[in-house]
Amino acid sequence: MSNEVVVSIRNLTKRFGKTVVFEDVSLDVHRSEVVAIVGPSGAGKSTLIRCVNRLHPFDEGSLQVLNHQLNKGSQFPSKQVLNDIRTRVGMVFQTFNLFPHLSVLENVILAPIEVKKVPRKQAIQQAMELLDMVGLSEHANKYPKRMSGGQQQRVAIARALAMEPEIMLFDEPTSMLDPELVGEVLDAIQRLAKDGMTLMLVTHEMQFAKEVADTVVIMADHRIIEKGPSREVLENPRTGRAQAFLKRVLNPVHATELEREVAVGHGGGR
Amino acid sequence: MLQQWVQYFPDMMKGVLITLKLTGSSLVVALVFGFILALMRLSTSKTLNLIGTWYIEIVRAVPVLVIIFLAYYSLGNILTLSGFTAAVVSLGAFYATQYGEIFRGAILGVDKGQTEAASALGMPSRTIMRKVILPQAFFTILPPATNQLSNLIKDTSLVFTIGISDLMFQAYSAASNNFLPLDMLLEAGVIYFVFYLVLSKLLARWELNVQRSRS
Repeated sequence: MSNEVVVSIRNLTKRFGKTVVFEDVSLDVHRSEVVAIVGPSGAGKSTLIRCVNRLHPFDEGSLQVLNHQLNKGSQFPSKQVLNDIRTRVGMVFQTFNLFPHLSVLENVILAPIEVKKVPRKQAIQQAMELLDMVGLSEHANKYPKRMSGGQQQRVAIARALAMEPEIMLFDEPTSMLDPELVGEVLDAIQRLAKDGMTLMLVTHEMQFAKEVADTVVIMADHRIIEKGPSREVLENPRTGRAQAFLKRVLNPVHATELEREVAVGHGGGR
Repeated sequence: MLQQWVQYFPDMMKGVLITLKLTGSSLVVALVFGFILALMRLSTSKTLNLIGTWYIEIVRAVPVLVIIFLAYYSLGNILTLSGFTAAVVSLGAFYATQYGEIFRGAILGVDKGQTEAASALGMPSRTIMRKVILPQAFFTILPPATNQLSNLIKDTSLVFTIGISDLMFQAYSAASNNFLPLDMLLEAGVIYFVFYLVLSKLLARWELNVQRSRS
């Protein structure tokens, strides 16, 4: 992790119509930093990272990505700026979003050829290296629907990496996967972290966040309720809201039991 | 009856050739113009959107025969269009509304995540349309498009009213020679049927081939 700030989020607010998605969110991401964003659904985590590569506009505040200033409002930044951000910021989605009409290899080489004008031969060579890295080079000619969710998500990672991004955004990359397939995807992400890639990762995998992330951000009720070094935040959360959330996530059965006991206790007292 | 069918078969084939040419040319016009209409209706520009919407709403509500007459007698007089050109323009203009709506529906039917993923990779919207959206919309487009093609083939028979010697025209003039309108129209009907049957089978095979190549 270096001192260079690559994503600077200042007092960001995002609404869909009148519904507030998140409010007054501030966060700095440094080069090679791994930031995990956790929290209950509906807190605005996904929308926040989607603002970083301008898939979503925002309503208030300021956002700086790789020295480009993004302005509030629905007006797109200039083509040049947008293009620069999107080629330098990769994204992996919860639902993989592979192109189903293209083979694995074609999925990976499409953007380098079309956007960066990389010669086909070179693009294929690079794609095979990336597929090798995620352990899928022998599946290069398969079509996405013939693959497991975990394999598809690893292809999606290779596809994003083919643009040689400086920052990778992960939007709940393992939420749609069968439990036994989660590991292979987290493995690939961890390797990126080790190689010094800057990562912003929305996840529900607390153990992974604790081990891999430098910084953990907890979002709830449309704002950041806690952020700091991952171990500190996840082991000794300061706010009550964060403690309640973590208790429920880390020990779901026990937590609901406790709640029930509390509820029964209240009932008995009446 | 069979003897009459055989006797006029060469004439009918001349007509089929015209019908085929007419269908092909109108289809090309309808597909190109229809795609433009779909893009207009999907565009963020309000003006384009409005023009596209109104064009489709008005033109598809008017009988094709009326459009053919309008094109031939008024537009054709001003611009001195041949009957064939007038027919291609009017059939193309009408079927563009049908194909436009098919294209629009199919494009909207492609999962939003596809556009997001392609945008996140830095692809400009034109590339996204060409490389990601349209290839996927293909399977949604083909069945209703084949359907409309069958209507187009049948509607080409209307052009005999402006004196184009298509299949229908040949059947009609044969009938006025031998006074056997039922036989001649039946023959034309059978030929129309075979024409469509062959085309739809070819299209179905094409669809299957593309589907196979993508799995």
